[in-house]
Amino acid sequence: MEFGLNGKLVDVGVEPEETVADVLRDRMGLTGTKVACGTGVCGTCTVLVDGRSAASCLLPAGAAADREITTVEGLGGDHPVQRAFAAHDALQCGYCTPGFVVEAAAFVDRWRAEHGTAEPSREQIAEALAGHLCRCGAYAGIYAAVAAACAGEHDEGHDGGTVTPPRVEALSKITGAAKYTADVVLEGQLEGVIVRSPHPHAKVGGIRFDGPVAEMLPPDRVVRYVGQPVAAVAAPTRAEALAAAARVEVEYTVLPAVLSPDDETPVYPTKESREWAPRANEGPLASAKWNGNVRGPAAMSWRGGTAGKRIEKARDDDAQTLVEATYTTGVQAHTCMEPHGCVARWEGEELHLHLSTQAVTRVAAQAVKRWKLRPEQVHIVAEHVGGGFGSKVNVTSDVVAAVELSRLHGAPVRVVLSRPEELVDGGTRPGVRIELALLADADGKLSAFTMDAHGDSGVSIGSNAAWHSRFFYGNAPRRIRDYDHVTNRAPGIPFRGPGLPPMLWALEQGVDEMALRRGEDPIELRRRWDGNAKRHALYDRAAALPMWRDRTDPGDGRIRRGVGVAAANYMYFLDPGTKVSLTVEQGAVVARIATQDIGTGSRSVIAEVVRSALDLRSGQVRVELGNSDHAYGPTSASSCSTPSIAPAAQDAADRLRKALGARSLEDAEGLHVVGRRPRDRRGYVTPFPLDHFAIGRGFSGAVVVTEVEVDTLLGRIRPTRVWSGVTAGHVYAPRLARNQCEGGVIQGIGYALYEQRHDDPATGTVLTANLEDYRIPGIADTPEIDVYFHTEGWDHVPGRGIGLGEVCTMAVAASIGNAVRHATGRRPHDLPIRPDLLLEGIGA
Amino acid sequence: MTTIEAAAQAVRDTGGELRAGGTDVMSRAAGTPVDLLGIPGLRGTEWRPDGSARIGALTPIADVLADDRLAAAYPALAATAAAIATPQIRNVATVGGNLLQRNRCWYLRHPAFTCHQTGGDSCPARDGAHLYSAVVDQGPCIAPHPSSLAVALLAYAATADVHGRSPLGIAELYGDGADPTRDHLLDPGEILQAVLMPAPTPGERAAYRRATAREMAEWPLVEAVARLTLDGDTVTSAAVAAGGIARTPLLLPEVAGALVGKPATEETLTAAADLAAARCNPLPNNAYKVALLRATLIDTLTACSSPG
Repeated sequence: MEFGLNGKLVDVGVEPEETVADVLRDRMGLTGTKVACGTGVCGTCTVLVDGRSAASCLLPAGAAADREITTVEGLGGDHPVQRAFAAHDALQCGYCTPGFVVEAAAFVDRWRAEHGTAEPSREQIAEALAGHLCRCGAYAGIYAAVAAACAGEHDEGHDGGTVTPPRVEALSKITGAAKYTADVVLEGQLEGVIVRSPHPHAKVGGIRFDGPVAEMLPPDRVVRYVGQPVAAVAAPTRAEALAAAARVEVEYTVLPAVLSPDDETPVYPTKESREWAPRANEGPLASAKWNGNVRGPAAMSWRGGTAGKRIEKARDDDAQTLVEATYTTGVQAHTCMEPHGCVARWEGEELHLHLSTQAVTRVAAQAVKRWKLRPEQVHIVAEHVGGGFGSKVNVTSDVVAAVELSRLHGAPVRVVLSRPEELVDGGTRPGVRIELALLADADGKLSAFTMDAHGDSGVSIGSNAAWHSRFFYGNAPRRIRDYDHVTNRAPGIPFRGPGLPPMLWALEQGVDEMALRRGEDPIELRRRWDGNAKRHALYDRAAALPMWRDRTDPGDGRIRRGVGVAAANYMYFLDPGTKVSLTVEQGAVVARIATQDIGTGSRSVIAEVVRSALDLRSGQVRVELGNSDHAYGPTSASSCSTPSIAPAAQDAADRLRKALGARSLEDAEGLHVVGRRPRDRRGYVTPFPLDHFAIGRGFSGAVVVTEVEVDTLLGRIRPTRVWSGVTAGHVYAPRLARNQCEGGVIQGIGYALYEQRHDDPATGTVLTANLEDYRIPGIADTPEIDVYFHTEGWDHVPGRGIGLGEVCTMAVAASIGNAVRHATGRRPHDLPIRPDLLLEGIGA
Repeated sequence: MTTIEAAAQAVRDTGGELRAGGTDVMSRAAGTPVDLLGIPGLRGTEWRPDGSARIGALTPIADVLADDRLAAAYPALAATAAAIATPQIRNVATVGGNLLQRNRCWYLRHPAFTCHQTGGDSCPARDGAHLYSAVVDQGPCIAPHPSSLAVALLAYAATADVHGRSPLGIAELYGDGADPTRDHLLDPGEILQAVLMPAPTPGERAAYRRATAREMAEWPLVEAVARLTLDGDTVTSAAVAAGGIARTPLLLPEVAGALVGKPATEETLTAAADLAAARCNPLPNNAYKVALLRATLIDTLTACSSPG
């Protein structure tokens, strides 16, 4: 079959079942075209066919015959839209970027031909890019980039020719050159496929297969949810591996499944088996008793008995200032655009992994333990990672399958999860039911609260939502109890600020309700209850916003506008063992660290710290990360990266400056220093790091003000404007930090309005196993977002700045809940606020 | 395939499924399909002297919404086309493919389940997750019909030109929804060639509205098309159709009938929209669709009867 490919005529033989995406990636080696959903929903695989965009994952290969196909590689890197994406930082992890760029290039070219340099509206841009999903939520930058490209601001010669993008690896992501794990092809590589349990609860007997098979069962050989890995097999192609997987015979003895609270069969019948339960939280687990399938309470109370009594008495007295309600949240899936994936290769007793991970050092340490190796025998490379959000911090099933199969076959093996696998087994934020009672005293001070949180985290434990309420609103008595209700459903795992978004969905609406009950301004009440000086600075700003100050009676028309506020705080974590090495190589400084950049900008932070400390040009610093052999670096989790890596990079730069003395870089070839993360003044809350994490002094904070428009006829809620104030000290890479905070707002909108895993009630099978049924926000759902950084108050931290990737998303859903309450007079209690729930709530 | 006869023969010989743009067929494991794209004469719009239009079955949806003459004559058809899927799907997906696609029931598309549609004898959605299922009970299967274009074509009284049989109305293309295995009633070897749009009535107005959670790129919970002719304030003719609520796209003659001869006031429109509920027989978790159908009809009729 002949077709034009990026301006050249090519001739390839294709199979009838192949897609254009297969041909591009597997036969032509053009891996800029990504496949993230396989069902034409996400747009990562978008190519142009005779100038018109198409989802290449659904395009039969034969449809390309005699046509001209343009991929991201064919745009050349110099298209105005590519320069605009770089300049406006219209990307984070970069996995969706090639698809966006291809579609945007076609749109910009068409627009320019018809409209010259007029700027399109947000609606026009949204319509053009409606078929693309960005899980990091870089939509604000994308709007700006496309508008600027249409206006001609990035034509050759108009932007100075060479833009220095705020994100150092932007160019490789925008041109499709950046290689992710799913793009890695090694000599003789096989494709591995995981065989998964079709039963929610079963004991596995024999596993039969006519070739090498890797078992993936827990020690008791019991599978506990539909989709749990059972075994894995490999073959030269994915199609052959899928066929092989279908030939694997597994003996199941089906056990009664626990799918509702009344089911009595124990999911974990022994103490030992409970130890295998996956964790939905980070860090150590608070101790708690088991009662059947319920684990809890894990208590975090402060004068809990007093709190209980005060609430009880207020209930008896029918107190006006007792605010009580039950709130629920849906199960939210991480939905990284790049699915979990691993390419494993054994070289003797040395294990080499290409891995999509948030934790090269942590996973390397786990691999050492699991496969009984010495630390120097494990080498993990994660050059680019297409998102994580908490789901890629451990040895996950893709790693186990690839490593075991590679050993069995004596060949490199790649295992990349499909989107259905990802949405079932890639991780979720547990659903939570929270019973909250909040009491104010006669002076309007917080008198006490009780919070019981019941986590629905499938086979996992540690949903820990209520736990965090210990750190909000001073020291009034509080009874805080967390329960896990274990079922035979897919596991919950840590997800961006684990526990806090559901907790704040309850607490921040309770606080809002209290303000309404008292006839007090909700910001004013928070200012009184919240002693944190840094958040006070945010409250001052928020209270002065025209959006807040000028909010009006929403009236009783069809479209009603409301404004809501909510606040968050988050512990300050860091990895005190972090090191950065600097080496002078060919007139440049190369920084190396065993951490990774999952789209959050760690590369750029290090580059900027080193560049500015040594007064270099941007081209004179190169950052090599995503390699476990480098100097020890942190896991990208708990917002610990920036406060760990930036001071270590600064220390390294200081050492290099001293070592250089009066020499130029050219005269110092090979000069090598290692910087360490200096201690905080006054040390840490934790006397020694737990699992490499230390808890520093102080909390980061966020205040979110959201305006929504509610269509009371059709039940749709549209966030129109969001102000997001964040206090996390010095901001090292302002454009990237803003981008991450904008993304946090967008993920919060998804959590509040659209995202919900649905299971079949009879079997626990996940039904939302594709991106049309599991709905994440698109560009058209993006409000205008204004991010404000309050940068003071972190003088005890070297570099004076901490992380902000999690605190920026936590309060968004609650701010939407409060805005909907303002708009409609009815408070939403259940997430996501689907149209049916909104209509039911307002009695339509 | 290069001729429609050859394609029809190939379907009869191999049992393969017809494939146009492939955006539906490729997302399912559908065996070896029979390709239609190479067949000439099935793409594009042809205008007849009487003002009617013949839209070829292989015309991409994007071409329908970008066609100014179609948009002027059949504004609700263009509005419907614009709301379907995403730009890169509309560039490839065809009018015929949209009309004859398989439904999107999450049980049907999940390999773990069998149901009435796939040779089983039960519907897992009825006792299971039916938040998005049909509320008009037409038969054993409660998957809502996925074609938005069909809703518009019903309201426009279009007919289907089918190779291998005489032209039929859009409603006949879908029947009564009683057969759970079928999303349309064409037999193997019968191939949709075009839809025929009657010439618009002078002065007619039309509107399309859908209810969704997200702004764009989403299957509608409920959708509706209304087409009205007014004499002053008085409705002189009406056609109303709705989707997302039944196994087939549905004309709602009771709603249309309640409009004719009445002034197009809020009271009239609301009273007419109220009538659709009588058809509905929702399950425990999708009763909201009955209310949403009424709301969508009010929205559509209001848009249709407002000046401008």
